[in-house]
Amino acid sequence: MKNPNTLKKKLASRFLKAMKKLKYKMSPSPPASIAEKKRRHRAVRAAAYASMASAVGPRRAWSRALLRKMKGRKRARRNPGNMNTRFGLNHLCDIVPGGEAMDSCSLLNETAHYIKCLVAQVQIMREILHSSSSSSTIL
Amino acid sequence: MTRSSRITEDEINDLILKLHPLLPDSSSRCNTKVSASKIVKETCNYLKKLHKEVDDLSERLSHRLASGNVDEDTIRALLRR
Repeated sequence: MKNPNTLKKKLASRFLKAMKKLKYKMSPSPPASIAEKKRRHRAVRAAAYASMASAVGPRRAWSRALLRKMKGRKRARRNPGNMNTRFGLNHLCDIVPGGEAMDSCSLLNETAHYIKCLVAQVQIMREILHSSSSSSTIL
Repeated sequence: MTRSSRITEDEINDLILKLHPLLPDSSSRCNTKVSASKIVKETCNYLKKLHKEVDDLSERLSHRLASGNVDEDTIRALLRR
């Protein structure tokens, strides 16, 4: 896997750009309706996964699956023959993006990479939250 | 990379063991004592937990975005690291 710092920087930069775009789409301060709050929440969450997927690009099956999903393309065909159910991999394949189309070995390799990216993404989001406390400069 | 179509359970078992260090609390447990099935189960749980964290952090960030309190300088510093 790439140098984790390079990946983290890439993830951070894409996510922040996505957040900036969202910021300008939001109407200013008066309290939003519950529906509007939910819409904003979903938009940030979508931005998180979108920036993860685009930062990794087509190099990984899980990121390709996310990119396909974002573009509204059909899922890759479910792979019936090669999933080893003895160790419970049939559950894991439903959790990892694109897992349903992978054989057991690919699934396990993809899972390892996916975990690392998710962990990095979570760290970035926490850092943004914690760093934006006292100052009032607008993003 | 070509591989034969029959992948042995031993090979899968080995790949699963490689996931173990990625899981939280994995250093406090002796490697040989954790079964492959347990590792897969804990991996599933960990992934679900991470998805939930992304969801929760997204909600909090959406509030922060709307209120405008995200500092441009700290973000540039974050990117520089």
